[in-house]
Amino acid sequence: MPDEKKTKKEEIPRSVDPASLEVLAECTDLQPIGTSWDRLKKQHPQCGFGLKGLCCRHCSMGPCRVDASKEKLKYGVCGVDSDTVAARHFVRMIAAGAAAHSDHGRGVAETFLAAAKGEAKDYKIKDQQKLYGLAMDFGVEIGDRAVEDIAIEVGEKSLGIFGEQHGPIPFLKRAPLKRQALWKEHNMEPRGVDREIVECMHRTHMGVDQDPENLMMQGNRAALADGWGGSMLATELQDIMFGTPQPILGECNLGVLKDDEVNVVIHGHEPTLSEMVMVVCQSPEMIAKAKAVGAKGINLGGLCCSANEILMRHGVANIGNFLQQELALATGAVDVMTVDVQCIMSSLAQIASCFHTKFITTNYRAKIKGAQHIQFEEHDAENIARQIVQMGIDNYKNRGVTKIPKAKCNMIAGFSHETINYLLGGVYRSSYKPLNENIINGRIRGIAGVVGCNNPKVTHDKDHIALVKELIANNVIVLQTGCSALACAKEGLMLPEAASQFAGPGLAEVCETVGIPPVLHMGSCVDNSRILMAASAVVKEGGLGDDICDLPAVGAAPEWMSEKAISIGQYFVASGVYTLLGTTFPTLGAEGFTDFLFNKHEKLTGGMWGFEPDPMVMARKMIEAMDGKRRALGLDKGKERVLFDMAMRRELDAG
Amino acid sequence: MAEEKKIKRKKFDGEEVEIVGETYEEGVPDKGDNWRSKMENREQMLRYLKAGERYWFSDDWYGSERRKTPA
Ligand code: SF4
Repeated sequence: MPDEKKTKKEEIPRSVDPASLEVLAECTDLQPIGTSWDRLKKQHPQCGFGLKGLCCRHCSMGPCRVDASKEKLKYGVCGVDSDTVAARHFVRMIAAGAAAHSDHGRGVAETFLAAAKGEAKDYKIKDQQKLYGLAMDFGVEIGDRAVEDIAIEVGEKSLGIFGEQHGPIPFLKRAPLKRQALWKEHNMEPRGVDREIVECMHRTHMGVDQDPENLMMQGNRAALADGWGGSMLATELQDIMFGTPQPILGECNLGVLKDDEVNVVIHGHEPTLSEMVMVVCQSPEMIAKAKAVGAKGINLGGLCCSANEILMRHGVANIGNFLQQELALATGAVDVMTVDVQCIMSSLAQIASCFHTKFITTNYRAKIKGAQHIQFEEHDAENIARQIVQMGIDNYKNRGVTKIPKAKCNMIAGFSHETINYLLGGVYRSSYKPLNENIINGRIRGIAGVVGCNNPKVTHDKDHIALVKELIANNVIVLQTGCSALACAKEGLMLPEAASQFAGPGLAEVCETVGIPPVLHMGSCVDNSRILMAASAVVKEGGLGDDICDLPAVGAAPEWMSEKAISIGQYFVASGVYTLLGTTFPTLGAEGFTDFLFNKHEKLTGGMWGFEPDPMVMARKMIEAMDGKRRALGLDKGKERVLFDMAMRRELDAG
Repeated sequence: MAEEKKIKRKKFDGEEVEIVGETYEEGVPDKGDNWRSKMENREQMLRYLKAGERYWFSDDWYGSERRKTPA
């Protein structure tokens, strides 16, 4: 098992992104709060028990530090051992991550239902076809019924799924039949995500479930209720309201901010507000108002998954990923920043106050001290969005000196699983067959899902980019979401020409024939559910086994930081995918439980976890796993690349 | 049919091979490919779902993955 300690260095470069480095070099005046990198440095040394998942404070007899390797610390006051402490902690991380995605999904479902009933007049049913698909999934009659009637019934059923008390959630039927049977056999079919999260919290309470493997049965159920439930519902309903993503050109990185326009920035996750802000920013009335204050127009940009949502549907510029949120403010060019939920740093209000920036929270669930709060209501969405944009326009005149870096990059986003299906065959022959055939004939070695966050513990974007470049050089097609996608977009990997520049010859040939980049942007973090759908389609197309765990497909989150990443990883593991984390792994101090996650879990679901902080070694592990699956499928006849180990690489470097 | 563009690429073992080059037009598109608008009415949309997205929506197909609840 890799030792996390060996990877720690006192000072590592903060970022590989030139735009971020440029702002970091300039922003020395954000005291006392500084940036996340400054604060991480001040936090050192971090608690060793916490890092290894060995700290418990589930009751007031504690907090307890439980470490099997130290005689004195073998047991908590209640008698619990390190494996159970780590397992309870891990399951709570899954519950928190699943809750975040699913509460997002619930919010979308409520807006969807209000729109269907005509109570949220600013939202429409944009993709009727997807509505009909969902109606079929839910057994809602289509016939000649009015679109609104179908939508109301779909909306009510969607809301009901969150609290489903008994039966398995309906989207499980989308998985390959063999996978469904496996979940049933192991009693792993989730009920509604609300119930599964409550049960996670109950079972991890002091004195309840104290068998790590039994705890993980519940962890698996909750994660599946996220991936095939809350997250998938969020994706589906957002697509119906705002459009199913289709290939679209966009720009990314801090250089998209403009000196001569009003910069309106949206940050967070839910597209309900960002879609409205976009509509308002494009209105001639608001553009005229911006011009009246001396700006050339209104420049809307997004951060994190809010950015992914409007980028993949409208090509709206993307300012950057998680670790760039503070840097965007530090340019001094942001006239108004609005945030909703998730991945929003507490520091933003203080950093905004160092500049002229208006910083606005919009969701009652996520208020921040020092921010101005404007509650977003879907019933009055456009007016609230107008109020926010107006604040930016009014604030433009207060701007001081700006430091906007030049670096920005074009990218193609919008590869929903439906669009991939279409691109591979056209309207009349839509199919995953060409992908399967090219995996079978060896042009494509396998499929990797590379997702997740940034983490200041490792150099910003470096591991994402290194991993993905190594994968595509080895003919692995890469599917991406979230901040990981944005890291690779900034490196130019999401352009069709990246195929000839960076991909191995087999993958390059396929990409150049279809006209797609070797790295496909599939959306925001809730859109990892699209990767589940794509994997299911590949299985159902045939020729690559009859379950997701048969595919030469591996997942990774090299720079993860949030509990959502644990929930996502767990629903991939529960769906049969080997999934690796970089940076750190939250159970490393509990050997027995970690061994269960890294090895024995494969016997349960066909999927397991792994940890590897070095992105090149991670790539090697992923490719080896894909080759293992190819061998099991009898696809190992083709000539394979000699994988360089670290010693060989060092020799090359020295040479 | 226009002739396929071929480009030379090095394999990992260093051997040079000829592969099909890019087939897309040069330049930057000024709008997205709105393929979903090609299905204009309910009948076409349902037909596409059952054929194009047959993995989930076909009445009686897909191979061993037969839909349990008829669409
Ligand atoms: S639950 Fe047990 S290990 Fe946790 S704080 Fe209480 S006594 Fe300590």
